[in-house]
Amino acid sequence: MTGPIDLEVRDVARSFGGFRAVQGVSFEIPKGSFFSILGPSGCGKTTLLRMIAGFLEPDAGDILIGGRSMLGVPPNRRPVNLIFQHLALFPMMSVAENVAYGLRRRGVGRAEIRERVEGMLTRIGLPGTGEKRIDQLSGGQKQRIAIARCLVLEPTALLLDEPLGALDLKLREQMKVELKLLQEQIGTTFVYITHDQSEALVMSDQVAVMNEGRFEQVDTPQGLYYRPQTAFVAGFVGESNRWQGAVAAAAGEEVRVRTREGMDLVARMADGLTAGHPVEVFVRPEGITLARAEAELGALPNRLAGTVETVLFDGAKSRVMVREARTGGEITAALPQSGRCADLAPGQTVHLGWEAGGGVCFRRAE
Amino acid sequence: MIPSIPQAAYARRLYATYVGAFFLYLFAPLAVVAVLGFNDSLFPALPWEGFTLDWFLSPGPRRVGLLHDQGLLRGMVTSAQVALWVAGLSVAVGTCNAFLFEQEEFPLKQALYALALTPLVIPGVILGISILLFSSTVAGAIEHWIGVEVEALRPGLPLVVLGQFSFITTLATLIISARLRKFDRSLEEAALNLGASRAVAIWTVTLRFLRPALLGAAAVAFLMSFENFNTTLFLVGSDATLPITMFISVRDGSTPVINAVSLLLMVGSAGIGLIGIFSGFEGKRP
Amino acid sequence: MSVRAQRLLGLAVFLTPALLWLLLLIVLPHVDLLLLSIRPKGGAGAVSPANYTRFFAEPIYWNTFARTAAYSILATFLTLLIAFPVAYYIAKVARGRAKGIMFLLCLLPFWVSELVRVYGWMILLRESGILSGLLVWTGLLPRPVEMLYNDLAILIGLVYTSMLFMVVPLVTVLDSLDDSLIEAAYDLGGTAPSILREIVIPHAMPGIAAGSIVVFMLTLGNYLTPALLGGKESLWFTEQIYNQFIIRFNWEQGSAFGFLLLILSSAIVWVGLRLTGQTLASAVQTR
Repeated sequence: MTGPIDLEVRDVARSFGGFRAVQGVSFEIPKGSFFSILGPSGCGKTTLLRMIAGFLEPDAGDILIGGRSMLGVPPNRRPVNLIFQHLALFPMMSVAENVAYGLRRRGVGRAEIRERVEGMLTRIGLPGTGEKRIDQLSGGQKQRIAIARCLVLEPTALLLDEPLGALDLKLREQMKVELKLLQEQIGTTFVYITHDQSEALVMSDQVAVMNEGRFEQVDTPQGLYYRPQTAFVAGFVGESNRWQGAVAAAAGEEVRVRTREGMDLVARMADGLTAGHPVEVFVRPEGITLARAEAELGALPNRLAGTVETVLFDGAKSRVMVREARTGGEITAALPQSGRCADLAPGQTVHLGWEAGGGVCFRRAE
Repeated sequence: MIPSIPQAAYARRLYATYVGAFFLYLFAPLAVVAVLGFNDSLFPALPWEGFTLDWFLSPGPRRVGLLHDQGLLRGMVTSAQVALWVAGLSVAVGTCNAFLFEQEEFPLKQALYALALTPLVIPGVILGISILLFSSTVAGAIEHWIGVEVEALRPGLPLVVLGQFSFITTLATLIISARLRKFDRSLEEAALNLGASRAVAIWTVTLRFLRPALLGAAAVAFLMSFENFNTTLFLVGSDATLPITMFISVRDGSTPVINAVSLLLMVGSAGIGLIGIFSGFEGKRP
Repeated sequence: MSVRAQRLLGLAVFLTPALLWLLLLIVLPHVDLLLLSIRPKGGAGAVSPANYTRFFAEPIYWNTFARTAAYSILATFLTLLIAFPVAYYIAKVARGRAKGIMFLLCLLPFWVSELVRVYGWMILLRESGILSGLLVWTGLLPRPVEMLYNDLAILIGLVYTSMLFMVVPLVTVLDSLDDSLIEAAYDLGGTAPSILREIVIPHAMPGIAAGSIVVFMLTLGNYLTPALLGGKESLWFTEQIYNQFIIRFNWEQGSAFGFLLLILSSAIVWVGLRLTGQTLASAVQTR
């Protein structure tokens, strides 16, 4: 992703009373990309977005949109528009009046407004709905009208504040795909904040994981998933088995870890560790190979045997909880889709194995 | 506009100043009334002649303090009696109305509901004269056909109670209905399911839930009755309520004893009003 | 007892008080008012429009009527104008405890009798009063001036005494306006005046209607305030009604006046509801 930078945030900080909501955040968003900020509630992502939109002033740092500093520029003069969490469509106006609102504010001629509004409604797949009232629209339609209301102003970037949060699960899945396709089609830069990792991973070109006011990692969705840089990212993005322990030996990129339960694991290390360091090891259930016989595991460096505690059947996301025979530690593994293990039952003995790179190990603060 | 939208400091200050001036306007009349109740003067006016409690305590004859002013004291007792009656009656009927409009279904319900709201948009003076007329028509008819003179239908306290009750009931209905609307009817059904009759279920479950609203409605009804003037004016007989007594003395030139009684009313209404507020209702009608 | 009979009994218990109240204290008295107003004084049984023709024949009557209506509209408008920014401040600008306290402060003066409030204005405005004294003391006036017993004094008193009935519905309705609507409008390029015109006022319309209707009705039917602040010549229509009923004992004429006032009040309430697309129930319930 190269090209001109649409939005640049330099070392921005903001506190409320004594609470430091955002501390020293910097990032750049290239033109036309879909950028998400992912984090748990209270991590400061809404504060960051509202500073970009102009509803909050940063205590320190600078925000540049299209190369121009936005400090002191009120929201109605910034070339970005915000999609609110509950959309904030104006109930006292028709659909067309909602979409036309910003154009009217700019003093665009009436005929041109009508043309551009209808053009916009057609682009988002809702031609001829202009006369409807807002309360006559479905959840998905409201979503699209809220986007149309901003896009008709051709903003440099569109800011989205968890707009899918209020939708039911099925519609949310559908809107994820729709939003992604819409963004690719119109090519406007999207800045999307969410606490839902699936939304961030599915739609984004780049995702920033935010925690306690700071960015933990900015990467592609694949990068976050396969190469988390911090323990928080490893724990927050995707599911993981999580063990605490200490480094027994370190060699190159690999470390040997002895967990508290007494399991010996080989994992990739994210930062320089030497023997004795307290660490945390993350292993994804879907990275674990499940076998009836140990021979099936081949040459995998991590091998464990145990008994099935329970099977959590959930279609493609089915899991098996296994109790390790030697130490009694608990491990969750993905159930293979092949049906090979479809008849797995509690009490049966299974063998588990994974690559050294299937686990990642971070220094643990004590 | 709202705190999240940047605004020039001078505009913000100007706005805050306006709001401050509004509160000054709101409290200036009450403040002067209260302060001048302690002025050592024969007139409720400046200049300030020094502090005195005469207008509360003095037995006369030159200065008659509130505690020795028979007219005002009698008015106060009369008003309190009327207000208690009105509060009791309007809360009782208001509660029935709340159940009627929130829980029952019957033909023409919406029309009856609209009719029940109209007393709030009929000027008080009109309510006063129409009830005066009708009661005297009824009294005349009774006298003509039965030959009995019904004293209660001639101007006097019973008519005052009825006149005030006629519109305060609507308010009581609104306050109690608002609370009843929040009531989860499955609680009542659970009581029925556990063997209670409907009357017992209402008595033991629903009314207990309504208690704050009943108290709030009673406080509002009491206050509004106590200070009512426009409707009462036409229905009052020889026993004048406090506002009527005060009206006459204010119109004809008063001494600061009126300030003293006003101060007492402020303290009293603030107390009763706070009961109303903390029972979950704000607002009233004179 | 069958379930159906039990249900009917319940309905009867709740319906009876409502019917008695509305029939005996609202419907029949107003029918009686109408019937008496079309009878000449003393002439039982006969129907005549004499009381109404006299109203139109005597300029003093219909002038007072028109004047009362005009001043009531003016007072309602002024009350709205003064109350709106305050209600907006309480609902949208003030935060946390300050908001609750300010709202309570708005209610406080109105729990006290209207008589006390008007009395306060008399003390402020009269020749020997506070305001006059203050202006002389600051040198703005050479000698005390009587500010009581004129139209402006009546207007001040009416606006003051109606304030609560405007502030409460406005605060309620503005409180329900989602901040994000204002932010969205601002984000899309709106300015304060345009947001006020296109977002805030349309949203507040039910509260504006509710407040205005009640204030207008109360002002029109007010006797106390014009009588005390306007003095002997307040020329308020309720005074005419009072004179006919209590002083001249001409109930027939008084009924006609009362009925005319009722029609005017109802008409304006109806027009107000129509213009703002409200129902009586929605207007009354915002209070």
